[in-house]
Amino acid sequence: MLTTKVKKRAYLLAATLTVSVVAIFFILKSLSSNILYFKSPTEIKNSNDTNFNKKIRVGGMVKKNSLEIDSEEIKFTITDFENEIMVSYSGTVPNLFTEEKGVVAEGKLQDKKFFIADRILAKHDENYMPPELKKIMKENVK
Amino acid sequence: MIKDLILMNGYGVYVWSSFIITLFTCVAVYLKTLKTLKKYEKEFASEIEKLSVEKKKIVLKNSKIAPQVLSSYNKTL
Amino acid sequence: MFNIFHNSNLFKWIEKLIYFINSIFFILLLVALSFALILSPADYLQGDSVRIMYVHVPAAWIGLASFSFIALLSLINFIFKIKYFSLITKSIAPIGLMFTCIAIITGSIWGQPTWGTFWAWDARIISMSILAFFYFLFICVHKLFSDQEIADRISSIIAIFGAINIPIIKYSVNWWNTLHQPASIKILGSSTIHSSMLLPLFLMFFVLILYCALIFLMKYKTEIIRIKKKNLKRL
Repeated sequence: MLTTKVKKRAYLLAATLTVSVVAIFFILKSLSSNILYFKSPTEIKNSNDTNFNKKIRVGGMVKKNSLEIDSEEIKFTITDFENEIMVSYSGTVPNLFTEEKGVVAEGKLQDKKFFIADRILAKHDENYMPPELKKIMKENVK
Repeated sequence: MIKDLILMNGYGVYVWSSFIITLFTCVAVYLKTLKTLKKYEKEFASEIEKLSVEKKKIVLKNSKIAPQVLSSYNKTL
Repeated sequence: MFNIFHNSNLFKWIEKLIYFINSIFFILLLVALSFALILSPADYLQGDSVRIMYVHVPAAWIGLASFSFIALLSLINFIFKIKYFSLITKSIAPIGLMFTCIAIITGSIWGQPTWGTFWAWDARIISMSILAFFYFLFICVHKLFSDQEIADRISSIIAIFGAINIPIIKYSVNWWNTLHQPASIKILGSSTIHSSMLLPLFLMFFVLILYCALIFLMKYKTEIIRIKKKNLKRL
């Protein structure tokens, strides 16, 4: 039933598709540092060519009990549970910004452990539940 | 209660705007699709009217679709 | 061989289906909307802004699913040359583009109260924009080339290569650091959305799928009439 024409088209398509998938894979791989929306504290610690004048984004969790808010600035620690970076920021924060939640800070590194942010974005996780349920879960943990 | 529903603790603007945008585009696309469909039905019907009596008979006898298109066009009139 | 796909039999079924969907659509829409906007609970963290999910997520699913379907039919059409398939893909594409755009727009509306920004150049949002671009190309080709056969061939190739983007969209949130949260509903494993929020999500999805079916059937009917009209002229 399969004519040679049909087979020819199928082979041609399969070949070009494979080639382009491989090509795209390598393109994405070489671009991967640009595709990353933010760097984790570990990635910053391990990178050798840290540029202190370039704006970068650092992301991770806001460490528990690290958030200090006074009238002039907000201080907190971003952690990826291996390494940490202290962040200083003055300005408004999104509603979802709290301890033990995801955060992305945009700004400049002062040194590898200290970061001055000029914008804070909140990154929430994939869990959705009603508030009553969250209360029950918290009590169970205690 | 209605006030709560509209304000949604300050998130009302975002929630309602996204629902309204979705609804609005859906209605617009529906109306446009319906209009195009009616246009083609009408053109098809007038094409058939233009044919001579014998040809019309042949078309309506041989094609299953032509009578169906005509009847759905006439229904909406 | 493809007797069920034959237009004259299909036409009757299309009429019946359009009538059926029209008769149940509004009741279902009202039920889904009341669950999405009133009856479902607010989120513990995001509050009422979570309700945007009920249009954002179904729209994104439909955008992805309809492109995958178009790509599959294009692949078969490219190899075996089945004419009816290009009629189907042509009728689906505008709906897919519309829902992809809705997903992007409602996503950015959702981003403002939750993330703190309307737009972020993260991998999920970029790859979703590329999907919209592929839809746009696909539709443009059909508008630009008056020769049906050439338009079919070029648009099939666009759809097949555009399909490489689909897994990239799906796994972008796992492969790279993104601002967008990971998937809540997994193909394997349990979902991380509470059941009281899953119900409105699936209801809205069902209603929007019905809407897609309605538009698709109307577009397909238009295409059949267009072809028949051409045939009349040949008499």
